[in-house]
Amino acid sequence: MLDSLYLSGWGAFGMTIFMFIPFFVVFMYVVVKKSFSDPNPTTGDGNYAKAEWLWLGFVTIVFVGVNIASIGYMPTVATAKAVASGEKITEVNFTAESWSFDIPEVTIEVGKPIRFSGKSNDTVHGFAIYDPHGDILFTMMLMPGMESPTSLIHTFTEPGTYLVRCLEFCGLAHHEMRDEIVVVGSKG
Amino acid sequence: MLTATKILQKTPIFNKMFPVDESDGLEEINSWPALMIVTSFVWLFIAGLLGVAMPLVQRTGMDTHFFYQALTAHGAALAFPFSFQLMMGIGLHRSGGCAGKPIKGWLPAAIYICMNLGAALLSAAILIGGLSTSLVLMFPLPVVGVETGQWSFETLVLGFTGVGLVLYTMIIFYPIQVLKMAFFGDVREDLVLSARTLNDPGMLGMVLAALVLLIMGTPILIIATYVLVALFGIIPLDAVAWATSPVVFEFAFFVFAHNLMEAMALMVISGIYATLPLYLADGTRKLYSDKLANLALWILLLTSFSSFLHHFITLFPNLPATLAYHGNIMSWGTGIGAAISIFTILATCMKHGLRMTPGLMMALMGFTLYILDGASAVVTSNVAWSFQLHGTMWQSGHTMTVILAMSMMWMGVIYHHYPVMTGRVLEDKLGYWSCGLLTFGSTGAALVMLAGGSAGMPRRFADWGQGGWMVYGDAIQFFGLIIGVAFLLYAINLFKAQKIGEATRSAAPAPAE
Repeated sequence: MLDSLYLSGWGAFGMTIFMFIPFFVVFMYVVVKKSFSDPNPTTGDGNYAKAEWLWLGFVTIVFVGVNIASIGYMPTVATAKAVASGEKITEVNFTAESWSFDIPEVTIEVGKPIRFSGKSNDTVHGFAIYDPHGDILFTMMLMPGMESPTSLIHTFTEPGTYLVRCLEFCGLAHHEMRDEIVVVGSKG
Repeated sequence: MLTATKILQKTPIFNKMFPVDESDGLEEINSWPALMIVTSFVWLFIAGLLGVAMPLVQRTGMDTHFFYQALTAHGAALAFPFSFQLMMGIGLHRSGGCAGKPIKGWLPAAIYICMNLGAALLSAAILIGGLSTSLVLMFPLPVVGVETGQWSFETLVLGFTGVGLVLYTMIIFYPIQVLKMAFFGDVREDLVLSARTLNDPGMLGMVLAALVLLIMGTPILIIATYVLVALFGIIPLDAVAWATSPVVFEFAFFVFAHNLMEAMALMVISGIYATLPLYLADGTRKLYSDKLANLALWILLLTSFSSFLHHFITLFPNLPATLAYHGNIMSWGTGIGAAISIFTILATCMKHGLRMTPGLMMALMGFTLYILDGASAVVTSNVAWSFQLHGTMWQSGHTMTVILAMSMMWMGVIYHHYPVMTGRVLEDKLGYWSCGLLTFGSTGAALVMLAGGSAGMPRRFADWGQGGWMVYGDAIQFFGLIIGVAFLLYAINLFKAQKIGEATRSAAPAPAE
């Protein structure tokens, strides 16, 4: 379940809806009720201190929980773990320039950690890998002038042809800036 | 008579929509703000046409460079001369009425001229010269565009001159005007509509926002000034190599751009805090808790400073992971401020009851949109999700929603100030219709754009057909047209406004702030 929450844009959409819909329903209920059906002041001392603490406690727990649970899915953490594991890492050093990528032909195998390291030669570019179903696996920002490349380690779980797109606006042919990489099954 | 009043009176349409009332002795706090507000709606009209043009260009298969031109001009018109200028208009009027200080002299004139002249030059560079860099410039794209023949050097100079003028307005002139009214000069009792101190959440947010703009904007202003001076040939281009380094420019730009949005949020939340108490059923004119309201503003202020780092999470490891986590945490921290604001507003409604008006409804619906935007913003600031969503339509949805939410809240607040500024009242029925349509259209457009981003739809992308994303484009077009109708009804309402006393169909105007 956490995989589908944190490894997909739709998981992010679900989380946004989870936060927005209950708020919207309660907010509209209170505003409409206190405007039209019962606009009178609430009887009682009007002190909502307990509700205040409950609400802030709930929000804090949700916020902390969502972020702690996401740690294992952060590509930065996955990269650090792959480096620490000592497993052999396949290097893919590429460059980006308006409006194409220069990606070396390297055999990319399922289950093997691949380090994508990229630099831009002119303006800001993106390097987003779409899986064969059209979902984004991850995106990287390449800023010119950086001494070190933008870099990330990823382990593919499915063979197939993956589309690469630039997701940082880079000029009049930005939408044409794409390429492909092929991931093959594990050779053992 | 002030210059701004003369301009308003002599301009067709303007003189019907925002005729400044000279008889009430408040011209000095009404005139320039009214001119800014009404001019912002001209830019909204231009931005609306360009917004409709974007899906249309894709649907009709026109040359893609028209899409990028429309995209850049739409964003620039919507964010600065519409949204920010609308905010300046209301903000200055509120500051003047709270502090009892006139808005006259060279400073408000400089604010008005630099914002609109700058936006006009930038728009000309985009629409005539083809400068297509998107709203955020994407530096060094403006320079690379010249090198690769996408636009000319002259166009670049024209566009950057426009950007420079707009930046000077937002970072120097407007904040100084607000701070001048808050801290300096003698109080004119005849101009005080509702005396407020910095302990009032409604005033605190205005001042904090001005300070944020001034402090967080200064680095990009220095860089932009150096670049402009070099572009005009006054100093050699080599002398500004430090400023034109993409890393330097981009980080300074986003320190400002991010905090600009947070400053606008501070301003608009303080506007809600100031306006809501005036419409309470029991007439107490008090928030549930001023302390809690101020706490929300302080949390928003402090967390927003460094949360800009979330713009660069996908630059890893050039943005060290620890700074990415910091940006992640600070962004969710702004959510705590928002949660406190939600509680304060709901507790105030519950405790005191509401005397609903279209203006208050529009401000509150703008607040719901602001919360939707906030939810989308914190989600995409999470490091794990950022790597899925950065550069997608999700981000465009976030930007559009925050601008619409804040504009909607200010448009609601205008309902309250309009009778004071013009001696006229707006019609309730039209007000509720425009509010309902704006809520429906904006929420729908926001959700569609977020969904498009979830589906991998890139932002600032002239070929939505590539990934089967045209369905999202059509839905954005549909909701965009509804937003357009809502704005049109709002404008018609301003146009049809009747003088107080002559109005027979509208309720009595709300008490002046």
